[in-house]
Amino acid sequence: MKKTFSIGGIHPNDSKISTNCPIEVLPAPSVVYISMAQHLGAPATPVVAAGDRVRTGQVIGEPAGFISAFVHSSVTGTVKSVAPRKDLAGNNVMHVEIAVEEDEWVDGVDNSDMIVREIPKDNKVIVDRIKACGVVGLGGATFPTHVKLCPPPDKKAEVLILNGAECEPYLTSDYRIMIEKPEQIVIGAGIMQQVLGVPRAVIGVEENKPKAIEALKAAVEKLKVLSASYSRIEVMTLKKKYPQGGEKQLIEAVTHREVKSMGLPIDVGAVVQNVATSLAVYDAVQKNKPLTTNTLTVTGDCLPGSKQRNYLFRIGTPLSFIIEKIGGIPEDAVKVVSGGPMMGKAISNLDATAVKGSSSLLFLTAEQTVRKPESNCIRCGKCAEACPMGLEPFLLNKLARNGMMEELEDNAVQDCIECGCCLYSCPANIPLLDVIRIAKGDVIRIIRGRSAKK
Amino acid sequence: MNKLLVSPSPHIHTRTSTASLMRDVVIALLPAVIVSVLFYGWSELMILGVSVVSCILLEYLITRFLLKGKNTVCDWSAAVTGVLLALNLPATSPWWMVLIGAVVAIGVAKMTFGGLGQNLFNPALVGRVFLLISFPAAMTDWSATKGFISGVDASSGATPLGIVKEGGIEALGNVDYLNMLFMNIGGSAGELSAIAIILGFIYLLARRVIRPHITLSIWATVFVFSGIMWLVNPAEYTDPVFNLLTGGILLGSVFMATDYVTSPMSAKGGIIFGVGIGLITMLIRYFGSFPEGMSFAILIMNSTVPLINKFCKSKKYGRA
Amino acid sequence: MTTTIIWTIAIITILGALLAVVLFFVAKKFKVEEDPRIDEVEKVLPGANCGGCGHAGCRAFAQSCVEAPNLDNNFCPVGGNETMKKVAAVLGVEVKEKAPMVAVVRCNGTCENRPRINEYGGYASCRVKAALYSGDTGCSFGCLGCGDCVAACQFDAIHMNPETGLPEVDQEKCTACGACVKACPKAIIELRNKGPRNMRVFVSCVNKDKGGVARKACSAACIGCGKCAKVCPHGAITVENNLAYIDFTKCKLCKKCVAECPTGAIHAVNFPVVKPKPAAPAAAPVQAAAAQDAKVENNEQVKKEE
Repeated sequence: MKKTFSIGGIHPNDSKISTNCPIEVLPAPSVVYISMAQHLGAPATPVVAAGDRVRTGQVIGEPAGFISAFVHSSVTGTVKSVAPRKDLAGNNVMHVEIAVEEDEWVDGVDNSDMIVREIPKDNKVIVDRIKACGVVGLGGATFPTHVKLCPPPDKKAEVLILNGAECEPYLTSDYRIMIEKPEQIVIGAGIMQQVLGVPRAVIGVEENKPKAIEALKAAVEKLKVLSASYSRIEVMTLKKKYPQGGEKQLIEAVTHREVKSMGLPIDVGAVVQNVATSLAVYDAVQKNKPLTTNTLTVTGDCLPGSKQRNYLFRIGTPLSFIIEKIGGIPEDAVKVVSGGPMMGKAISNLDATAVKGSSSLLFLTAEQTVRKPESNCIRCGKCAEACPMGLEPFLLNKLARNGMMEELEDNAVQDCIECGCCLYSCPANIPLLDVIRIAKGDVIRIIRGRSAKK
Repeated sequence: MNKLLVSPSPHIHTRTSTASLMRDVVIALLPAVIVSVLFYGWSELMILGVSVVSCILLEYLITRFLLKGKNTVCDWSAAVTGVLLALNLPATSPWWMVLIGAVVAIGVAKMTFGGLGQNLFNPALVGRVFLLISFPAAMTDWSATKGFISGVDASSGATPLGIVKEGGIEALGNVDYLNMLFMNIGGSAGELSAIAIILGFIYLLARRVIRPHITLSIWATVFVFSGIMWLVNPAEYTDPVFNLLTGGILLGSVFMATDYVTSPMSAKGGIIFGVGIGLITMLIRYFGSFPEGMSFAILIMNSTVPLINKFCKSKKYGRA
Repeated sequence: MTTTIIWTIAIITILGALLAVVLFFVAKKFKVEEDPRIDEVEKVLPGANCGGCGHAGCRAFAQSCVEAPNLDNNFCPVGGNETMKKVAAVLGVEVKEKAPMVAVVRCNGTCENRPRINEYGGYASCRVKAALYSGDTGCSFGCLGCGDCVAACQFDAIHMNPETGLPEVDQEKCTACGACVKACPKAIIELRNKGPRNMRVFVSCVNKDKGGVARKACSAACIGCGKCAKVCPHGAITVENNLAYIDFTKCKLCKKCVAECPTGAIHAVNFPVVKPKPAAPAAAPVQAAAAQDAKVENNEQVKKEE
């Protein structure tokens, strides 16, 4: 039987329009702006200055804390400036501006297409390479991967889950890498499995991607012959339901265990990584290739079929450059979203650049995305039915608008995963998540403050 | 370049809206409406017309001039109340009685609480119960009016439940269940045809407007409770199938107990709510002075909804 | 019949008497000892329970006043000096006068000055908007215009001007309770000295971007040029992170900085209007600046009258 999570969830139309567009290599722009804050945690410290010549794959930013990551140049050229620049939300972030001259990789990088199947024996070497190559989670949160692969000594990982659900409508970048580079992904899984020392690894893919499931299964079969360690990797078909790719939901679907409130996946022995991260791990460990590229879907209902794309882009490419490549913003698009339509961020500044975690440029029309005016709550309970965390958004909304912090905490507002199911399903167009998201932040701050005092 | 629209996620929205949900309820009520008009003729059409028009008009006037808030006429909720009220009245009701019912339903039961979504009790039922208490004779005159097609055998002017209450179970004689299922029950327009209501129920389920918990738990409770009583003493108590098909059980359980505003939110709460309605209805039928108790049962359980909502929370992820 | 009535009367009377006794003892036993002066102080307070003093409400403030050795750390911004004098009279202590304050909106990013490049389509709340992105304009520091400050004000003293998209403080109604200051996620609103006859000079901008960036985003932005700091004879102006700030405790309202500011970011409000001399149009730039200055004041006055 196909597995899925047990509480809530919604079934939006999956609209995977660009699903048959093979990954295309996006040419390098003339100038790239590489952000120092492409990961969760402290922004990296720039280690180059204006006038420096850098090569592709060279370190230009060093981690500034435990939870932080290296940043590499994605091009070869001259550093023009190191200065604050506005990101896609319009906030100032330190960027390194590089004028592109040519494309010459730093030494020691294997840039061939040959698949390296032999995994290094030394786990420390693996983790060091992952760290040095600046690999971060590419599922959306961009959490530094090497940190996730080294759980605290008192916690024991039991299963590695690769997230290939891609439950967000429209996105197809994960799907494309799963059918174009399945073997690399499985090797990446094998590497992480070895580092974590887990007996089992599961690649969860939603049922609407049969080709990806087939390709991954074939890759596992092929690799099994080479090494017995691959035989413990399982490809699991999951039901199509949003948010299947939510970390907590995926863990429950695969292991039937629930992560406690405010807990971490490792508490139930699970480590979740995205398939794109697995590919980045493969590149880092087997090819010594830093994370300087990622796959990005350019899609939307208002974009004609011939303009749908899955691009392999260099980090630091201006979004406006990508949009230019497909001939500008479609006429009836009113909103450009970075990421999926459920959890992605609306872009306010098209001069911002693509970062490690960029997964899509989605164009939405007014009809699709403009919110209708809010009307009275009719207490239909559809938000509570849809909430994958079993919360009561209608109640949280009311409590939040009245500033009732204690009641909000009692009703578990801090468990909200901001998946958007409540707002999506509300027939009265009440901005549930907008209000709840702020209240969640406040309550978590109160909880942290309390535990800090103790 | 045009301005980019920026808003927090999610960026897409379901097509379902309050208006579409309410419209679906009206569509689900259509079979029952058609059957009632066919069998009760012009007088039923008049009742429906007066009820729906006055409900919508009242909603408009009150939101416009008294509450001075958002106009909620376009969301179809007043229309639903109007149709439900009409289906709850005898075909012989005079127009002014319907109007009073509408005033009580919209003006008192809905708007005084703050309008759509705020009312504690189902407006149509409050209207009906108000009329039942104020005009008991007119509200229990079930003589059939002239329909567009003949077939209703209700010249006696009493419903099967009324007959049982008056003369005991013997007075009922033989009942043809198959007939009851289709159209032949004397009673209010909404009680005429069980099949028409069940069609509506299936439509509502298919369109995901309602969940089946409340309706099914009412049916199960009525069936089990009357089954036990009937097995204990068939000479005194009517049988379960009779109880399910007569009176307002079907109409009430499908359309009024499931009203979003006045029913619990969670599935667990819905079951408790349904069991409560079923039990109270059967207690009134068997032991009370009224022949039928569905309206009272729903209203009584309506008042417990805030409590049920408070104590019946759905299971939360990661919290045992 | 009569017996029923007698019985009823008897039972009710006895019941009443019994409960009265119970109530009497309960009231005695559970009586909370409180300084009676707290009640008296509370009586002279405005009773708005706005929390502007930093206490949970007027009663908590009264308690704090009674318990504290002097009134130096307690001040009711709503009632102001008069109320504090009354409180002091009740408690029999001295109180120092404090200069009255008023909330000041430090952003002049009107639709004209600061062109909108985006449009917001979510829940109309500055906090929600601020958490999402930097705002509809190129300025990531300025007013977001959703009116959280208006919603926070209990005294109906701050309103959005639909033309400028900015909030405006009604200085007559403003009690300087600070609710709007707390509500603003961009920290634009500041409590400043109300000034003699309400005359104030302040920098109406909080943009910390470099001059060019700030100017590009908003024509009325402070570009951090420092001219005002140089011209100020009282050392009241500091420029930090490309932004000038006027210390109102040092400012002597000479308005030299107002004329000097190239972007008009320094506002002088409620100064008497100086009528430009007839020959002014062709005159020296200083006079032109003065004329412009007067115009600014005019605008401010018009706003106040609205």
